[in-house]
Amino acid sequence: MANLLWLQGGACSGNTMSFLNAEEPSACDLVTDFGIKILWHPSLGVELGSGLQALLNKCVSGEIPLDIFVFEGTVVNAPNGTGEWNRFAGRAMKAWVKDLSAAAGYVVAIGDCATWGGIPAMAPNPSESAGLQFLKRSHGGALGQRFKSKAGLPVINVPGCPAHPDWVTQILVAVASGRGGELTLDEFQRPKTFFHSFTQTGCTRNMHFAYKVSAPEFGQRKGCLFYDLGCRGPMTHSPCNRILWNRQSSKTRAGMPCIGCTEPEFPFFDLNPGTVFKTQTIMGVPRDLPDGVEKTGYMKLTAAAKAASPSWAEEDIFVV
Amino acid sequence: MDDSGSGERAPDEHEPRRAQIAALLASLTTDWERRADETERFREVVRALRGVSLEEKLRIAGFTLHPVDHNDIEQSCETCMYYLVHRRWCELPEIDLPVRAEWSCNVWRI
Repeated sequence: MANLLWLQGGACSGNTMSFLNAEEPSACDLVTDFGIKILWHPSLGVELGSGLQALLNKCVSGEIPLDIFVFEGTVVNAPNGTGEWNRFAGRAMKAWVKDLSAAAGYVVAIGDCATWGGIPAMAPNPSESAGLQFLKRSHGGALGQRFKSKAGLPVINVPGCPAHPDWVTQILVAVASGRGGELTLDEFQRPKTFFHSFTQTGCTRNMHFAYKVSAPEFGQRKGCLFYDLGCRGPMTHSPCNRILWNRQSSKTRAGMPCIGCTEPEFPFFDLNPGTVFKTQTIMGVPRDLPDGVEKTGYMKLTAAAKAASPSWAEEDIFVV
Repeated sequence: MDDSGSGERAPDEHEPRRAQIAALLASLTTDWERRADETERFREVVRALRGVSLEEKLRIAGFTLHPVDHNDIEQSCETCMYYLVHRRWCELPEIDLPVRAEWSCNVWRI
């Protein structure tokens, strides 16, 4: 049996909605098949008021062992670092986060807000939001660079806006079943099993990427979304085209450019007008190139690929 | 594409239109020197291209009958992201014209 506590800070509940829609395994499977006891969750918990306060205090004191502490949403520090804008169960949420993280076997940040601050931490960041151990790319966040949970791991970051339901439940199962130590994390503390490949990996538009055929408008089945519509699939680490959404699709498969929501910089360019769904260029060359590709090589490759492209690459090959 | 190995393509149904555009460009002064280096300028040009005549379109987009060397980058339709190699067509919705590989315009991007 592993005790799990889930709290929300500056959040829209999107990751909770995602979690409750998980299928492999489902939220119910966590309880019935994997021995996870959900002590409390904003959408599932039954305790209220002083009852909840007592539960949280018991987790902090160790009277109730806290095996997994899951946090969704930002840690709100406003005003002036006090965190009083986000009070919960009688005190600032940031105080609960600090105390519960210190008591937990594992700490798991779910979604962009909890991992790097996400949309609330965009400039000018009026809520002084931060992620648990990062603020965008900057290591530290609410718990500080050196934080490690009792199991010896830093915060396990499962980003996304929202995170895919199965990323969430599969990581929770790994931790609850004693395999947390087997998780390998990348430089942003994301489990490599999910975040080592790219969103582009498995994208059905890869042929059009290879032959440099662009989709200049939405709603087209042919063409790559990277060249004109700002798709960040080649630069974003996620398994969105390997572990499909609703088991059948992904943004790019549906004609929607990847917005890079598993990366610390999300939302990119602070959502300035003209930067969303539009590839940013400098002298006609994309500002952000596929991971590991440099400008000269990109231009040579593009010229060669266009020259070699077959005629079918200009057609819609997905015949209904 | 022909099979002579020359790399030249056979004329298609749009060749008369290309010839018409080429004739227009031969005497038209276009804004070819104002390259859309930044995304903002690109958006301005694209906005200005909506609902204008062919001649205005060519002028605003800065079409030339030859590649333009800009900051050591040779910009020609042939390497542009909007160029469909086999159809010899610019598929930027605001341009949407038959073109030739050696032409260029100021919204070139790769």
